[in-house]
Amino acid sequence: MRLSTAQIFQQGISNILNQQAQLQKTQQQLASGLRVTTPADDPIAAVQILDLTEDLQQLDQFQRNANLAEGQIALADTVLQDVTDVLQRVRELTVQANNATQTPETRRAIATEMEGRLDELVSLANTRDANGEFVFAGFQAQTQPFSRSGGQVLYNGDEGQRFLQVAPNTQLAVRDSGRAVFMDIPAGNGRFDIRADAGNAGTAIVDASSAAANYQRDTYTISFSQPTPADPVTFTVTDSSAAVVASGPYQSGASISFNGASVTFEGAPADGDSFTVPAAPRQDVFSSVQNIIDSLKSSTTGPAASASVNNAMASGLANLDQALGRMLEQQADLGVRLNRIDSLRESNDAFTLQLQETLSEVRDLDVTEAISRLNLQLVALQAAQQSYVRIQGLSLFNFL
Amino acid sequence: MADLLNIGTSALLSLQRALSTTGQNIANVNTAGYSRQRVNFATLPPEATGAGFLGTGVKVDSITRSYDQFLAQDVRSRSSSSAGFSTLSSLTSRIDSLLADPSVGIAPGIESFFGALQDVANNPGSIPERKVLLGEANELAGRFQTLDAQLRGLNSEVSQRITTTVSDINALASNIASLNEQVVRATTQSGGQPPNDLLDARDQAINRLAEKVGVTTVTQDDGAVNVLVGNGQALVVGFTASQLQTFRDPFDATRVNVGIAGLASSTDIGRFLSGGELGAALSFRGGVLDSTRNELGLLAAGIAATFNAQHSEGMDLNGQLGGNFFRPLQPAVSGSTGNTGSATVTAALADVGQLTGADYRLSFDGSQWTLRNQQTGATQTGAGPAFSIDGVDINISGTPAAGDSFLVQPVAQGANLFAVELTNAAAFAAASPVRSSTGSANLGDARLSSLAVDSVAGLPLAGAITLTFNPDALGPGVPGYDVAGSAGGPIAYDPATDSGGLAVTLGGLSFELAGTPAAGDTLSIANNTDGSGDNRNALALGALQTAPILDGGTASYQDSYAGLVADVAVRSRQASAAADAEGTLLQQAISARDSVQGVNLDEEAADLLRFQQAYQAAAQVISVADTVFQTLLDATRR
Repeated sequence: MRLSTAQIFQQGISNILNQQAQLQKTQQQLASGLRVTTPADDPIAAVQILDLTEDLQQLDQFQRNANLAEGQIALADTVLQDVTDVLQRVRELTVQANNATQTPETRRAIATEMEGRLDELVSLANTRDANGEFVFAGFQAQTQPFSRSGGQVLYNGDEGQRFLQVAPNTQLAVRDSGRAVFMDIPAGNGRFDIRADAGNAGTAIVDASSAAANYQRDTYTISFSQPTPADPVTFTVTDSSAAVVASGPYQSGASISFNGASVTFEGAPADGDSFTVPAAPRQDVFSSVQNIIDSLKSSTTGPAASASVNNAMASGLANLDQALGRMLEQQADLGVRLNRIDSLRESNDAFTLQLQETLSEVRDLDVTEAISRLNLQLVALQAAQQSYVRIQGLSLFNFL
Repeated sequence: MADLLNIGTSALLSLQRALSTTGQNIANVNTAGYSRQRVNFATLPPEATGAGFLGTGVKVDSITRSYDQFLAQDVRSRSSSSAGFSTLSSLTSRIDSLLADPSVGIAPGIESFFGALQDVANNPGSIPERKVLLGEANELAGRFQTLDAQLRGLNSEVSQRITTTVSDINALASNIASLNEQVVRATTQSGGQPPNDLLDARDQAINRLAEKVGVTTVTQDDGAVNVLVGNGQALVVGFTASQLQTFRDPFDATRVNVGIAGLASSTDIGRFLSGGELGAALSFRGGVLDSTRNELGLLAAGIAATFNAQHSEGMDLNGQLGGNFFRPLQPAVSGSTGNTGSATVTAALADVGQLTGADYRLSFDGSQWTLRNQQTGATQTGAGPAFSIDGVDINISGTPAAGDSFLVQPVAQGANLFAVELTNAAAFAAASPVRSSTGSANLGDARLSSLAVDSVAGLPLAGAITLTFNPDALGPGVPGYDVAGSAGGPIAYDPATDSGGLAVTLGGLSFELAGTPAAGDTLSIANNTDGSGDNRNALALGALQTAPILDGGTASYQDSYAGLVADVAVRSRQASAAADAEGTLLQQAISARDSVQGVNLDEEAADLLRFQQAYQAAAQVISVADTVFQTLLDATRR
């Protein structure tokens, strides 16, 4: 084909310009380390990069959330451990106070120590976190959750539980309400409670109680009768509508069973003594301690009074055990959550690593490939320049 | 020997012309559009003698240019496409780099915003975290505004470009018309000889015009060329050139449209123009810029609406229901400058989920309104005064005149007007307005969980809503919860079958009931007074980051933005690939044309030698004629 001189010139130049543009692109890639510098370089990769970057940012945020959650859960765990220690001490004191060698005076001394422990409990329940928020107040984090009023401790918070987002699709509770931790603890053996009538004159004390699966929830009354001292002691169990559900001769140490409930008394009840057996109400840990304190303070001498203290202590111990059980459950739950956080953090880490690898594959430059490409392009550009100069030098006019 | 002298002289004269033509070729080797010229020799008429016809010499028959009309035509149309695609590519790539730029793009803004939101969820009662959230929200809004401002900047640049290109086109059209006249006159004066350099100049002018806009040319018998643009609008006819003109868009002062001067009304011929820089600018504006702005506005509107909806279901630190977090989108309506009636049109957003990126044109023909989707071309007609289309309610009031028209742009201003309405950090609604509690005397383990607000109509609650379990709530033996404090009870709930969880809606609230209650057990729902430690709404807002809530429930915020980026990236890539391809094709077309038309210096050098030798030989002929004559004179002198 015939070529025009201008065309030879133009084509040579445009080839060199093309090579330069490609070289510049490679240089830019090498300088930035990125394969995709604008979305048009690779639209699909650009979208993937946006998605991956967002996922990575979220995972990073979740890791921060998890660290925060860990701190908050650990704080609650520490507080609950302290509460458990205090309750253990109260339990020891209760056992001690139940001892037959105690006098009303020594019992009052024990009550005084218990009052100190109760204060400690209330203050633990009012723990604040580093931000000044009450840990056990539910949603009302700025309201002091536990306050004393008369002989009672009132809960001013709510049942709100705070969750944090610690992984995609996973929210973990980091704060439990004071109501769940300290207030809603079933009394007695968990199914029913046994309360001695205040006017009991005998020495019957509750030795043991249990509820079978077929326990029917109701408020029962166990009353003892012995019309004359020569008669045997008999018991009658009535339900809330005064219907007799069980009756028979009383024997110390033998269990009385009715509607799935089983109660064992020891000692000698007097005629007309009675015990109320309601379905277990919810009782807060503070009342449980306060009730023990109240019975110890009001204790007097005499066998009936002693039985009354014994009954109160037995009931108190049952309630304390329920409370300790709740603390244990709660701590176990916190432990499970801490483990969960650990495993989530690990999986977040693994996921982050994987995403970073993918992102790097999608976005980052294969440096080896780029450098060899750069060399190739350099050679091509040099070849284009040299051949251009040599071809341009050719002209018939040189020979005229 | 007069014949020999004449022959020699004619040869000298002809070869002189050939040499000057070769010189002219060499001189114009770098002249753009120059066609190599060639001298065509012809023998002079022979002289009849008894012995036969005797040659009388040579003459220059014509000087023509090496020219192939079809190759030239090819170059012209390739120039149009190439210039068009490279303009389109360079304009589109600017949006492309804008969208993915970490300092301008939306994606990093969304990420930081939701990061700050998570921090508020981690510590809902704290003001500093909330202030950071507001800061990040404003930053996100700033990104939308900046991006939209850049796009609007591009829009005015495109308008500038259109105006400049149109005046270039007009200048070239006049130039072509005047060259037409010169060509025709010169051809006539020279008795039909082609005025090569004028023809080249005209070709060059037409080529330059083709780079500005796609043209069709028709050659007339007299040598004039008529130039048509678009779908047959005559730009140059013979010696007269029409003028294109730009005029302001009737709906938008920042846009210019292209029409033909002298027509009664400003008829927009923009949609007929294709190819060249003007066609590219127009198609960039209509096909890339407008849709990018609309998509961006759509995303902004979607974020504002969905985020506001969740935010308003929450409660702030002051115990108030959350209001708008972002400023809600207001569809834009503009009336044509040509409207003569007194009608006004308003538009309101009805359902953000149905919004599309389209604009709508509402026009009145005297009795009926026609609403046309500018993107799809779908129309609906009616007498008005209310129209509802794609999630937008349009209302017309006043008296229209026939021919009046309005442009409804639901989302075009979405990104520009995207802003944070909330200014007080405490007014961020991190909490939920209600909370539940279980009765303190409950004997069973009844629970109320997953309490959520569906509608804030009944909030704040006038009083607590209490659910009391009653084994005979719905008749003897049919258990359920009696409801106090709210309409809608009793709620059927059978612990035997429902204790694993039963979803319930009551008033504007929804929740789940579970567990086995005892008769008389209560569950209650109350206002979340002082709930500063509640982060439920913040968590729900945080979940919006990845929830598929835009584009009819198929895309998250990020997905939607990624879709926009991908869309522009693909267009940019296409345009750049097309520009490359057209560039190559143009190079090939130019090669093909130049192989006929271009000057090759080696060839000219050879010609120079050839004609020089011939000239020397012709001079020898004269010398021989002289010698022959001298010989005759010498012979007769004695």
